[in-house]
Amino acid sequence: MVATNSTRVKEDVWIPTCCGQCYCMCGIKVRRQDGIVTEIEGNPDSPTGRGSICPKGLAGPALLYDPYRVNYPLKRTNPEKGLGVDPKWQRITWEEALETVVAKLKAAHEKDPRGVYFQATTTQASECRFGVIGFMKGYGTPNYWVSGGGLHCGNGAHFMNGIMHMAWSIIPDFAHANYTMNFGCSKGHGAGHSAVMNATQVAEARFRGSKNIVFDPFQSAQASKAHEWVPIRVGTDGALALGIVNALLNIHGIWDEEYLAYKTNGPYLIRPSDGRYIRDKATNKPLVWDLVDKRPKVFDDKSVNRIEYEDTAHEVALMGTFTVQGVEGCKPGFELVKEHVKKYTPEYVSKITWIPAETIVRIAKEFGEAAEIGSTVTVETSKGPKKIPKRPVGTHFFRGSQGHVNSGWTCLSIDMINHMVGAADTYGAAMGLGAAVCGGFPRDDAPDPEKPKPWQMPYPCPDGLMVAGAWVYDHLPYPLHEPRPPQRLDLHDMFPTSIYNAFTIMSDNWFDLLEQFKVPYRPDVMINFGSNSIMTMGNAEVVAENFLKKFNFIFSFQLYITEFEDAVADIILPDTCYLERYTPAVSWPSTFSHPQGEDDWGWTVRQPAVEPLFERRDFNVVMIDIMKRLGMSDKYYKGLNETVPIRYGGPLEEKNMLKDDGSREYTWEEISDHLLRDRFGDKHGLEYFKKHGVLTWPKRKEDVYWKWFQDVRVPVYFEYFIDGGEKITKLCESFGANDFLDWSRFKPLADWYPCPTHDEALPQEYDMYTFYWRAIIHCNSLTQQNPWLDELSQEDPYVYALQIHRDTAAKKGIKEGDAIWLENPEGHRVKGWVALTDGIEPNHIAVAAVAGHWCDYQPIAKDKGTFFNDLVEMDKAHTDPLTLNQDICCRVKIYKAE
Amino acid sequence: MTRYGMVIDLKRCYGCYACAMACKAKNRTPPGVFWARVLKGETGKYPTVVRQALPVLCMHCDDPSCQTVCPTGATQTAPGGIVVVEKEKCIGCSYCKMACPYGARYMVEEWESYFPDGAPRSTYEEYVKKEWEEKSGIGVSTKCDFCMERLPEGRLPACVNACPANARTFGDLDDPLSEISMLIKKGRGAVLQPELGNDPKVYYLPPR
Repeated sequence: MVATNSTRVKEDVWIPTCCGQCYCMCGIKVRRQDGIVTEIEGNPDSPTGRGSICPKGLAGPALLYDPYRVNYPLKRTNPEKGLGVDPKWQRITWEEALETVVAKLKAAHEKDPRGVYFQATTTQASECRFGVIGFMKGYGTPNYWVSGGGLHCGNGAHFMNGIMHMAWSIIPDFAHANYTMNFGCSKGHGAGHSAVMNATQVAEARFRGSKNIVFDPFQSAQASKAHEWVPIRVGTDGALALGIVNALLNIHGIWDEEYLAYKTNGPYLIRPSDGRYIRDKATNKPLVWDLVDKRPKVFDDKSVNRIEYEDTAHEVALMGTFTVQGVEGCKPGFELVKEHVKKYTPEYVSKITWIPAETIVRIAKEFGEAAEIGSTVTVETSKGPKKIPKRPVGTHFFRGSQGHVNSGWTCLSIDMINHMVGAADTYGAAMGLGAAVCGGFPRDDAPDPEKPKPWQMPYPCPDGLMVAGAWVYDHLPYPLHEPRPPQRLDLHDMFPTSIYNAFTIMSDNWFDLLEQFKVPYRPDVMINFGSNSIMTMGNAEVVAENFLKKFNFIFSFQLYITEFEDAVADIILPDTCYLERYTPAVSWPSTFSHPQGEDDWGWTVRQPAVEPLFERRDFNVVMIDIMKRLGMSDKYYKGLNETVPIRYGGPLEEKNMLKDDGSREYTWEEISDHLLRDRFGDKHGLEYFKKHGVLTWPKRKEDVYWKWFQDVRVPVYFEYFIDGGEKITKLCESFGANDFLDWSRFKPLADWYPCPTHDEALPQEYDMYTFYWRAIIHCNSLTQQNPWLDELSQEDPYVYALQIHRDTAAKKGIKEGDAIWLENPEGHRVKGWVALTDGIEPNHIAVAAVAGHWCDYQPIAKDKGTFFNDLVEMDKAHTDPLTLNQDICCRVKIYKAE
Repeated sequence: MTRYGMVIDLKRCYGCYACAMACKAKNRTPPGVFWARVLKGETGKYPTVVRQALPVLCMHCDDPSCQTVCPTGATQTAPGGIVVVEKEKCIGCSYCKMACPYGARYMVEEWESYFPDGAPRSTYEEYVKKEWEEKSGIGVSTKCDFCMERLPEGRLPACVNACPANARTFGDLDDPLSEISMLIKKGRGAVLQPELGNDPKVYYLPPR
């Protein structure tokens, strides 16, 4: 019945669902009155948020009802592409749009399916895991990247956190930590994954007197709340971390013997000639030195291995020189670490970081003492009370410290501070956020009662190192990928580490590289889901000309006409926003964004608060349609079946697999229902989740503080990097690319490497360091068009401004509100408006977020703030060889705009 | 008798603006109107400088200047000590706006969209416009009312509900055992500009 004024039932309902304004994906309740979304609140039933919510989430209605949303399919009628070219958009029907894209995909498939490239947003990561991954597997292309996200955020951080903590991020156990160190991130202060929960915990920690030290070039939200803000030169966090490790080990003599001996590869004996493990001849296992029996033993010999804290074992050597298998001079890995960091003296590190030497020594001491090495607590596990170490300290970091050419080793060095004092994944310590340790949802009818889903547990590799039992991607953070001749357009399958790279596809000789590495096909069709890569990668002109314009056809699922569509898209498909769609798994994979801590596990779904407005259609619904039109539904279902086990905690039961024999077709809701029933039983299908929005169950304490319950170790000596380096070097040489990147960074011990920014040979006029920071009221580029968030940005003194120290500005004759240019040595420049402050190291300029939009179709975002990324170069010199992370700090000269 | 008040713990607050946004979304305030606002400032010299956020709202004074100057009796103190405006009585003279030492009053002469002129108006905007006109009013004085319509439903004011840092506590100041009374007592709670003698019911706990 059509609702009319007389027949309409007065409607007033609250719909439990998930936020989608950023990748944190907090549980929310949405009020719908007479068909209109009128209120959004946090959902107290969801462990992700517990009823609180940030301003981005509260501003959802302004996204849902923005009149500038793209509501109908559009096609470009001007064949010319590029920045500043009018595409001459024309409205078309969905039928025309779908016929066009399907014809293009069909033709591309006949030529070579690998020519199709999927580009996606990090903000809607939970949607990507179906529509994007299913398509890639079904259609048959390996080419995918998350523009901006992977390289700006976490190529280094996620990779290293995966190796060391089985999680996307690390965050101190703020509920119990007494002393934490924050290296260039806003975690706990409104940003990072599980931002709201972290903020709640950190506020509580402040209240109870927990100390937080923040290293940052400017007074960020977290620095302003810290016990101590320590200004640091941008890009030098790794050197500082190694300086702290050195001070701990070699000045203060503080380390956690038990932890290093039984939970790391610190005792593994290293052969002096090649830096590799000495292995047992019979089993090939690495050896440790038993100090009681005074002889080498394999690392997992019962007499020298402790799994639980209360287990007993012989002491093993962490230091000393031993003769093993006739080889003299073998030393435990830990001793090599201890020796290696000696060069990071407080004075040397002070010169690099501009932090006083005595501050470094003092902070290391405070941290080491606060770790309370030797202390324990008893926690109530599912098997009764168990004693575990209490280590109430932790370091954490994110994009600010890791967005540099030294990314990989910087991340490891910062985390190494934790591992030296045993403060990893135990009570009070640095924790993997949503680490892949979950004993599953308890239910009577679990097909495998031993492993109820979602079941995710780590297991040891033959060398005893931790392999994650669940992960966001098919490829795990450890072991390294086997370098192989590349099949991907970004050559990525060739590299042993990381998620994506930019320096290949953005180079001005991309096709020459493909030629050199014998990749036999070229880019053809790009599918974009929600990304605005023109603005989120680096210099926009380079992104457009070197990369995007190389595609013959681009179609884009999008909420707005962004700078990306305007420059290069041929067709725009109007997507639904998070308030108009289903997504069956939002808080999982847990490794991506589930909150850390003792609170419950929670599986959240997204469901529409309103039916899609106008002609908007949900990305995942359309992908099913496209695959059907391509005649590839069965392959798509098969692809979806394959995505489940590694991400969502265990294999699909036969009966819940999508039939991929052509016998059935599924709607998106049916697919969602299948997954939910499979994880939680028939009582907890989509209908259950529509009603409740979330399913929670208690976290076992052994899954929260998992370190001393799992028989896995983490590396402190990265022996296996030697192998990775040799393999990638050899592979590159086989293609005649002998000096492709500096593969010598694949080595077992951490070092700090300077950024191009730190080049002392740069002309003197480039005297300022600039970097970008994430304003907590924005996420990536999308939120800039939200008028409520825009208004708050204008309220804030810094979100749209260039922060410059007032003394520096005075010397340069610059005043508050002046318009100035920032120009890098490559000649790229951006304009902004000055806010004077004392809250920044005087040689730095801080620029917020992905601002400075120019597209007419986002009038709220247009001309606000500064487009920092135009200064970001995406070449080899700005790429970390270890993780292929991009450097995003710049040296600039500044001058007044006319 | 119940005397509603609020405590804002500046040590917990990290200036995220969730309170301001929650208020805006719930109360449908048009552009430029912030019944709940976050002021930001900086004190000291590098490197001992400190940036501080100060969330503000109507202080719901026991002795409100705005009420004293109101020529028509539109500003009243409702049960629970909540200072409210009876929009039917308000003549839009702005005396209250000038008298309020806390800048809590806002006058909207003409309802404005958040989107540029000429943009089609969504059903949502029609809805919020109507609600603003009916509940708050055009050409009259408007302000925070502690979300008083939510209180009987057992719901907290929107700003309190949203705060990720749990920096805001709402409750009865007359109940010596209420959480808010205890916080003020134990946490050295203080009001802004006490010398004015307005006796605000919004208290702040120190940032450090």
